[in-house]
Amino acid sequence: MEKMIELKNITKEFKVLNRREGLKGSFQDLFSRDYKIIRAVDDISLSVGQGEIVGFLGPNGAGKSTTIKMMTGVLEPTSGELMVNGRIPYKNRTANSQEIGVVFGQRSQLWWALPLVESFKLLKDIYQIPQKDYDDMMELYGGLVNFDEILHKPVRQMSLGQRTLSDILAAFLHNPKVVFLDEPTIGLDVAMKSRIRELILELNRQKNTTVILTTHDMGDVDALCERIVIIDKGKMLYDNDIQHLRRFFGSYRTLKIRPGEDMKEVEEHLEKELAGMDVRISHDDEWISILINEEQIKVLNVLEMVQEKHEIKDMQLEEISTEDVIKKIYREGV
Amino acid sequence: MDVKKRGIAFYFKIYFKIITQDIKSRMSYRADFVISTLGMIATNIVGFAAFWLMFSKFPNINGWGYYEMLFLYGFSLISITPTQCLLDNNWNLRRCVFDGDFVKYCFRPINLFFYYESEVFDVKGLGQLAFGIGTICYSWHHLAIPVTFVAIVKLIVFLVTASLFMMAMQNAAAATCFWIENSFYILDLSLKLKDYAKYPVTIYNTVFRFLFTFLLPVAFIAYYPSLVILRPDEVPVLSWLSPVIGAVFFYLSYKMWMRGASRYDGSGS
Amino acid sequence: MNRLKKYLALTRAGIIECINYRMSLAVMVFGNLLYLTLIYFVWKAIFASSGSDVVNGMTFETTMIYLVLATALFNFMEMYIVWEMGRDIQSGKIALNLIRPMEYRNYLFWSVSGSFVVNFVFTFIPTFIIVLLVTKGTIALGINLLYFIPAVILAVIINYEIDFIVGTICLYTESIWGINIMKQAVVTLLSGATIPLAFFPDKLRTVIDYLPFRAIYDTPLTLLLSDGTDKNMVMTKLAISFLWAVLMSVISRLFWKVSIKQVTVNGG
Repeated sequence: MEKMIELKNITKEFKVLNRREGLKGSFQDLFSRDYKIIRAVDDISLSVGQGEIVGFLGPNGAGKSTTIKMMTGVLEPTSGELMVNGRIPYKNRTANSQEIGVVFGQRSQLWWALPLVESFKLLKDIYQIPQKDYDDMMELYGGLVNFDEILHKPVRQMSLGQRTLSDILAAFLHNPKVVFLDEPTIGLDVAMKSRIRELILELNRQKNTTVILTTHDMGDVDALCERIVIIDKGKMLYDNDIQHLRRFFGSYRTLKIRPGEDMKEVEEHLEKELAGMDVRISHDDEWISILINEEQIKVLNVLEMVQEKHEIKDMQLEEISTEDVIKKIYREGV
Repeated sequence: MDVKKRGIAFYFKIYFKIITQDIKSRMSYRADFVISTLGMIATNIVGFAAFWLMFSKFPNINGWGYYEMLFLYGFSLISITPTQCLLDNNWNLRRCVFDGDFVKYCFRPINLFFYYESEVFDVKGLGQLAFGIGTICYSWHHLAIPVTFVAIVKLIVFLVTASLFMMAMQNAAAATCFWIENSFYILDLSLKLKDYAKYPVTIYNTVFRFLFTFLLPVAFIAYYPSLVILRPDEVPVLSWLSPVIGAVFFYLSYKMWMRGASRYDGSGS
Repeated sequence: MNRLKKYLALTRAGIIECINYRMSLAVMVFGNLLYLTLIYFVWKAIFASSGSDVVNGMTFETTMIYLVLATALFNFMEMYIVWEMGRDIQSGKIALNLIRPMEYRNYLFWSVSGSFVVNFVFTFIPTFIIVLLVTKGTIALGINLLYFIPAVILAVIINYEIDFIVGTICLYTESIWGINIMKQAVVTLLSGATIPLAFFPDKLRTVIDYLPFRAIYDTPLTLLLSDGTDKNMVMTKLAISFLWAVLMSVISRLFWKVSIKQVTVNGG
């Protein structure tokens, strides 16, 4: 089966101006300029099939958005081959744009002052969506979201959540093959995040749209992605499904304890006893979480340690969380 | 999905839809609309005042009478209107590029330049148009030029031609923001240049006549096209050629703009 | 002393910013030269057609000198204050500025002071020197230069306060452009920046005499180009400028205070 998106040894370099410091430096800059070359994306290869939902993760400045920009046709790679739906994006921008949708978490692409339905109508004209397809989509949307709330509101009057929802609807309107979502749930409250995730999942299921999702939110990853790609410093660190990743860190367990007494004391005790080991201790209002590498020390041992000196009201044992997995990869590589 | 090739008809159709919405939404901001219109009127009145202060006492500037100068002035007002109305979004280009917002225009399957410029239509420009038409009628009347069908056609054709030059200059000036930091001054300069259009190019010496004709074609915004009406017996070749030259200039500025836009890398400069 | 240090730090930052934009300097210079060429030819044509060397008490040469220096002065003084304020107000940044220990009016003034310095040194002074050389002694080099300094300082203050008042209007409405354009049109015409006041009909001139605008361009330039002997005239003009400076400062401060109160009460 032919892949929807193919990247082969993609590299992107930028020329950046070096600014000199201070008053003297400013004078120097007036007369001569000094450049340096930055490699934002370094030899990345990957392929994505139709209907997949892939999460792109990585620290800020890692090269994720640069890679996305190349896939959407905004940037031209310095070297390598890139195909989206059988086309080279930056060479066939118009044709490529017809088949993709893009959503930026913070920047709406809809017409600011227009009611949503007017934006939809304009998009219908711009993308030349046949009337029947348009009506079908509107019906589908009507079943998925509460249209009464937003259909006749100008985008400028919408809350961030409504705006993001509208942007996503707009991105899928012309039934694109691929949709790129850049931090779609950023800045939203938990309830809204959940609604957005459901919407994306449902649209992906119904229309078999390939979804490329950039995010820092682990909730997004857990809810939507079966496969994740981790990029750091321009290089691909990891490209596989989440289960595989968890198995990789299979020896890790998270032990959660609800102490009967002063949390701080218990935590300090643990930190002393477990100093120097591959563990991570954190806490929230009620629970202390201890990430334990069972190859170094068994959960039961830790439990005994605690129970010797303190009372435990409740206890939970979990797999390593996705977030911890990602954090470990950022810090230590794979 | 098979998509028809998008032709001129397509672009016309959606252009009207887009700007209708823009105008409707602007009108809803009453205060701003009124103040901006007042500002436009004030500027025009001051312009006329300055013109009157300088020329009313002098019967003959370089062979040009008061009403001929007035005709030039009105002509230039009309020919700069399309730039003001249609390319107004160029003023936001620099900020848009710098903030990264420009990226969002790159994702639609329609012409980038069209999409960007269609977002904004400056209704105030129509006020200026009215001033220009009024001025031309007034000076036409005082110059006792016969009002024939041919004359009107000539007027319209050459007004359109003249507008191409201003559009080309403003467009090219705005496009520099893709390459240069702090290009605001260049765009600002192109705006000031329109003030130079209201004088006959004969007041300059040879060097500057060349500059204002071929390098910064200010002379084509009013002078050369007007000659067709004002001095129909001694029309220089350049005036007749101006439609072609205008189209070329505009096309070049468009290409430059597009080149800059396609090199845009999604971050500031 | 600390306050002064704070202010000067702003000035320094402003200077660095200015120098960084070398392209814009070049373009500004080019634009100015172009403008000067234009007025050279236009006024030449005007004087040629008038049939006499002296029009309204000025010769072509004096008119040119006046306008060249007026342009240099314009570049020096135009700080686009209204735009800065409008942007700060619209983006809401103004709220942050109100929390700062420095009063907004002063803060804004000292941040643009860096540009003042750069513009004065790089635009006005060289222009003045060139004019001096070209006109070979038409301009007196005596005490008139001294009189020029306070006139310019007062001009800067009055200009700033007018801009600030206009900028304050942006608290009430979103339309920065319209307001700024109106201000610019009115001020440049009535202050003698684009056309020397000598060319205005008498009735209009009497009206203008009662407005603050002439203190911005006409007064400093007249003093600079005079021979400095008419002490009475000099003192009168400076006194009037001073009064206007004080009056405008008071008005702008009051207007700002009242407006801010309005806005913070209504949560603008």
